[in-house]
Amino acid sequence: MTMSEANKFTQDILKVAREKADSIVHEAQADSQHASDEARTAISREADSIVRGARADADAVKRRQVSEARHRVKLREQQEKDKIVEDVLEEVKKQASKLVSDDTRYIPLLTHLIESGLRELGSESALVHLNKADLKRVSSSLEQSIRKNVAHVKVEWSKEPIEAIGGALISSLDGKIRIVNTLDQRFEALEPRLLIEAKASLFGE
Amino acid sequence: MSAIETVKVIVDAEKQAAKMIDDATSEANAIRKKIDSSIQQQRQQMLDEAKKRAADISSRAGDEGKQEADNYETDSANTLKALVSKAISKKNATVEKLVTMLMRVE
Repeated sequence: MTMSEANKFTQDILKVAREKADSIVHEAQADSQHASDEARTAISREADSIVRGARADADAVKRRQVSEARHRVKLREQQEKDKIVEDVLEEVKKQASKLVSDDTRYIPLLTHLIESGLRELGSESALVHLNKADLKRVSSSLEQSIRKNVAHVKVEWSKEPIEAIGGALISSLDGKIRIVNTLDQRFEALEPRLLIEAKASLFGE
Repeated sequence: MSAIETVKVIVDAEKQAAKMIDDATSEANAIRKKIDSSIQQQRQQMLDEAKKRAADISSRAGDEGKQEADNYETDSANTLKALVSKAISKKNATVEKLVTMLMRVE
């Protein structure tokens, strides 16, 4: 081999080696770039997920606080309404107990309560019980009206007063059957309707 | 050039070539190692920032929620006050209406 042939041969060897070395480095650089890009995307996703999670938690915290406030307000509103309705019903009771001294409004009602009690009892004779004040007010006109409207029943008036705002308790003579037509009972029976009416009138509900 | 000299020249060239490849391989390893470390560092930094933002959001949420709730309660208190006042103004008429219902002969 001549010298120039040897030089050419070694240069070829070195050229191939240099190319391979360059290729190894370039490949590492390309791999690194690719890994870096992929990692950046993955990390961004992870970071976004952390922030998104925190936002969702924060929204939930805010929603819960507002929801609790709404609940407190609703409860307060209901308590205020209940208090007003309770006051109104209490006042109705008071007014009703005062109205029993107003003959014009009360006597027709008392007559009606006694007559309907007698009809409901369905007996030929009955005992009518009144409160202390009403016992003193049993008038001939009241008796006449009852005699006229419920003619088939022989009515006796109990001397023992009952505890009631007004109205009457009608019983069989032996006391076994009792029809409670007192104002107290009437109030109790009408209470659901009074409540509905009160809410409608006071709050438009 | 003698055969021995020729072999010597070729062997030297092969050695140089092998060194070039070794150096390149080392450089490639260093590049890969560096990027791994850089990715870890970058990951830690980005996640730390994200956690800090998340902590800020969480800490603000309590105050913002409380503020919203307070505003709602204040507005509602005024509404309730008006509602109560309106209802109280209708109280007497309502009582009269209910007493009439109670005393009505049906």
